[in-house]
Amino acid sequence: MQPPADSQTRSAPNSRSPKALLAAAKTNVELWANLLIIGWALGFMLWKGVGFAIAIGTVFAIWAILTVSLNLVVGYTGLLSVGHVGFFGIGAYTVAILTSRAEYEQLRTEAIPTFGWPFFAALPVGVLLAGVIAVAVGVVFNRFRDDIYVLVSFGFAIISFNVFLNWRGLTRGAFGIHEIPRPAVGGWVLDGELEFLVFALAILGVIVLLSWLIVTSSFGRVLTAIREDEQAIAVFGYQTTHYKLAVWTISAMMAGLAGGLFAGWTSFVDPNSFILLESMLLVAIVILGGLATIWGSLLGAMAFVLLEEGMRFLPFLPAIHVGQARLVVLGILLVLLMVFRPQGLVGRYKL
Amino acid sequence: MIAQRPSLNSLLAIVLAGAAAAYVLWKISQSPEQAVQFAFNGLSVGAVYALLAVGFTLVYSTVWYFDLYYGAAAALGAYGVFYLRSQETLGGLYAVNSIFVNVLFAAATAGVVAWALYESQYPRFRAHVDRPILLGAGGVLAPGAGIYMGFVLTNPKDLHIFLSPAIAVGCAALVTWILYQAYRSVLTGPVLRGLLVVTGAAATVLGVYCAYLIANTPEAKLYLSWGVSCFLAGVVGLTLYRGLYVYMRARSQSPLIMLVASLGILLAMTALTSIVFESTPRPLPEPLGNAPWTFAGATIKGFNVFTIGVAVVGFLFLLFLLKRTAFGKAVRAIGDDEEVSKVVGINTTTVIAVVFFIGAVYAAMAGILSGHDTAIQPRMGLLLLLKGWIASVVGGIGNLNGAIVGGFVLGMIEQFGIWDLAGEWRDVISFVLLILFLSFWPKGLLPRK
Amino acid sequence: MRPGREMIDDPFAIQTDDISKHFGAVKAVRRLSISIPKRGLTSIVGPNGSGKSTLVNLLSGVLPLDGGMVVIEGAILKAVKAHENPAHGLTRTFQEVRLFDQVSVWDNIMVVLTKRGLFSALLERVKPAQRDRARRILETVGLWDKRDALAENLSYGQRKLLEIGRAMAMEANIYLFDEPFAGLFPEMVVKVKEIMNHMREQGDTIVFISHNMDIVRELSDHLIVLDSGSLLAEGEVDEVLSEPKVIKAYLGV
Repeated sequence: MQPPADSQTRSAPNSRSPKALLAAAKTNVELWANLLIIGWALGFMLWKGVGFAIAIGTVFAIWAILTVSLNLVVGYTGLLSVGHVGFFGIGAYTVAILTSRAEYEQLRTEAIPTFGWPFFAALPVGVLLAGVIAVAVGVVFNRFRDDIYVLVSFGFAIISFNVFLNWRGLTRGAFGIHEIPRPAVGGWVLDGELEFLVFALAILGVIVLLSWLIVTSSFGRVLTAIREDEQAIAVFGYQTTHYKLAVWTISAMMAGLAGGLFAGWTSFVDPNSFILLESMLLVAIVILGGLATIWGSLLGAMAFVLLEEGMRFLPFLPAIHVGQARLVVLGILLVLLMVFRPQGLVGRYKL
Repeated sequence: MIAQRPSLNSLLAIVLAGAAAAYVLWKISQSPEQAVQFAFNGLSVGAVYALLAVGFTLVYSTVWYFDLYYGAAAALGAYGVFYLRSQETLGGLYAVNSIFVNVLFAAATAGVVAWALYESQYPRFRAHVDRPILLGAGGVLAPGAGIYMGFVLTNPKDLHIFLSPAIAVGCAALVTWILYQAYRSVLTGPVLRGLLVVTGAAATVLGVYCAYLIANTPEAKLYLSWGVSCFLAGVVGLTLYRGLYVYMRARSQSPLIMLVASLGILLAMTALTSIVFESTPRPLPEPLGNAPWTFAGATIKGFNVFTIGVAVVGFLFLLFLLKRTAFGKAVRAIGDDEEVSKVVGINTTTVIAVVFFIGAVYAAMAGILSGHDTAIQPRMGLLLLLKGWIASVVGGIGNLNGAIVGGFVLGMIEQFGIWDLAGEWRDVISFVLLILFLSFWPKGLLPRK
Repeated sequence: MRPGREMIDDPFAIQTDDISKHFGAVKAVRRLSISIPKRGLTSIVGPNGSGKSTLVNLLSGVLPLDGGMVVIEGAILKAVKAHENPAHGLTRTFQEVRLFDQVSVWDNIMVVLTKRGLFSALLERVKPAQRDRARRILETVGLWDKRDALAENLSYGQRKLLEIGRAMAMEANIYLFDEPFAGLFPEMVVKVKEIMNHMREQGDTIVFISHNMDIVRELSDHLIVLDSGSLLAEGEVDEVLSEPKVIKAYLGV
């Protein structure tokens, strides 16, 4: 039954008392998730030292850019895209192709061009290319919803993977692209791990700031309305297709940026970094951290990196299986989340 | 009424379809032998896709969410056969036998047997037999079945010997049941009972003879391994439904939540397969001899004909099941409206669980057939799943006939598509086909009525 | 109003000319021509399935027209696009309340107060003027105290009021209310009536669908009776209600 219209009682009158706060904290999943993950990160750092933190910091930054950008599409706009890794790959491959100077004896016959651009010239091209492809793909994808959207976004991931693998004249196929130079400004090369970490974290900071500006603007509010009821918000004068296309493109460009960063960091790309499973993993991390919160995505990426690194120290797990074992854990976590907490650890939106 | 003008979309669709048809005709006129070859390959690949799409659609049209476990089921089927046959077919090169896996499947089997006993036999005996006796019998039968399954999995070399008792029991029970149904329509009373005893004895003898035959036929191991793998995939599907999806569906109706949960299952199971069997592709050897025959200039492998045959038999069985039996009527009723079916007294949970079992068996069959045809790798499940999904969308979501048609159409188009492009672009071709279909023909070839 | 659009000087707020809509074989609206006068309250009545909601959906562009044309505030339209409603000065509520469920009450109002353009929306942050307007509206519908709650956690009546508040925030000239009184407690009915009377005093056009003939008699200036997708009668309330065919077909007295 409905309560009477003008029942304007607000819940729990003295919820500010310390006792009540303590009681509330005990069942507060968000608080515990935050404490656990941050504590875990700090503990790890104390145990393994600063060098270790530097090593995993860059991995975290790249994953975090991907999850924050994907959350704009999945969490805020409600489009469950499993194709994000495609844009990541486009960014990485663009930077790799444009900057690599490697010469390949084996592949001479295919006359693969080398450009030898500097990293900071190639990065914007990669981001732009990801954006242009996102517009083209988004125009087609805009008409789909829910489960069919999942299917076609699977398709985008598969198609882009096949292009990376099979367009050998450009991507060198399964052989991959080697000798991608580290980013350099003038004569200063970011070849130290610490320098690169600072650079990556700076980019992550910019991405987080941008995303925060987007989701707190009027634009972001319209995105959440589209997620809830696209037809209803259209009635109030919004061209929803434009909004969806815009956020999709922005998110894709951010993923392209992450890709460029990844290429510059590992100095080697091959199609195996951009398989469909990685994309599913990304969705799993976004949901784990929390839908429609930027902080949640950062937390999710952090938890994932810690999980992956933590698994390396498990005595019963051989090192070659770590990559797969994290998928098992993430998969099971995803099921548990869907059962008990569909909005993720600190999320604001239930699928 | 306003005259219906052809919209730009349908015009474009017609132009596209016309261009595709013209291209195919031109190619056929160029080399008819090749065309026959590709058409045959298309049929064979399409049979696999159609099998998957049928399993997928059967489940989708009952519960109305996409269960991505079917990808894992396909891989499970293929790897099950590999697991059971690796020692002999590859000269013991990959002798995998993990106690962990065996225990897992044994537990799942025990659980499913317990569930089946509870659902089917408990109500029948409850009135006559004491509860502790029933519980004790179940407590012996279910773990017994689990331990038996564990033994079968631990000794794949003697699969035919270990499975023969089960075949004896199954054979005897089946014959007795069929004959009992036949007698019951004409006879009653003591005559029926006497005849039943005689029949039971005869069926037992028959069953033992069957078991004896199989135990002496090592070649039967191949087919037995197929059967065991399909059964295991089905068991896992049923376990997932009864153990997980039922509770999730009670909590929320959002199909996306179910989809994401099953995505998690697919992710975990694919990775688990990679851990147990490594992620590199493995061959499953040619099961029916290697000698291909030629027909109208095309090379035809016996196994591919067999694949098409299996698919056709599978469809006919499913169509019979859905159109002619009470179970099929219940499935259709649940697909139309689950709440109403509950109200009219259909045990929806049981019926849906069986549907999940059947769907997983079909997916596993598709995985096995495709694995024998090419090779197996953990990723195959996901790819096959997407093909089945595409086929079911192309054929018309939620329609079984559509799924069959969609599977063959997808197979044909994929094969004709790689005539000029290289074979590695086949996944791209199928997704382009999907997007074209969704754009111009969103309801698919045969929409559900 | 967009340039290049054909305009006429129209004494009516909304006119339809021969509009049709069918779902498969079902003809929900058949060659319907009605006129809704400017200002005042017009109610649409008719038995279930007579095409009332379909008509509102057609006028607000939620469903595409299958034929005919619509004149809204003088703009002649062959196809009504949902996102052009504010340009026509038109807004609506839905029969099955459609709020943005997992969004706060505050943002449910705020989202219709902001700029429509993509880039201006990206740069826009909430201004005090918008905040005041949202506050006024929430106070009018009595949901100011609930502003931080999620819309899905409101009671049915509160949701209905919030939806009306969202329509008020549009400051339109034409309001289409699809069953605003259905399922409300009496005190809420009074509140909705107050809001609608206030709109009438401001000179707005209000169109509402209702099954409650007492409210229709009490409020409306103009009445449209639909029956199986066609117009049965149209005109002053008392005149229409005394027409024999209306009494026979609809009221069944």
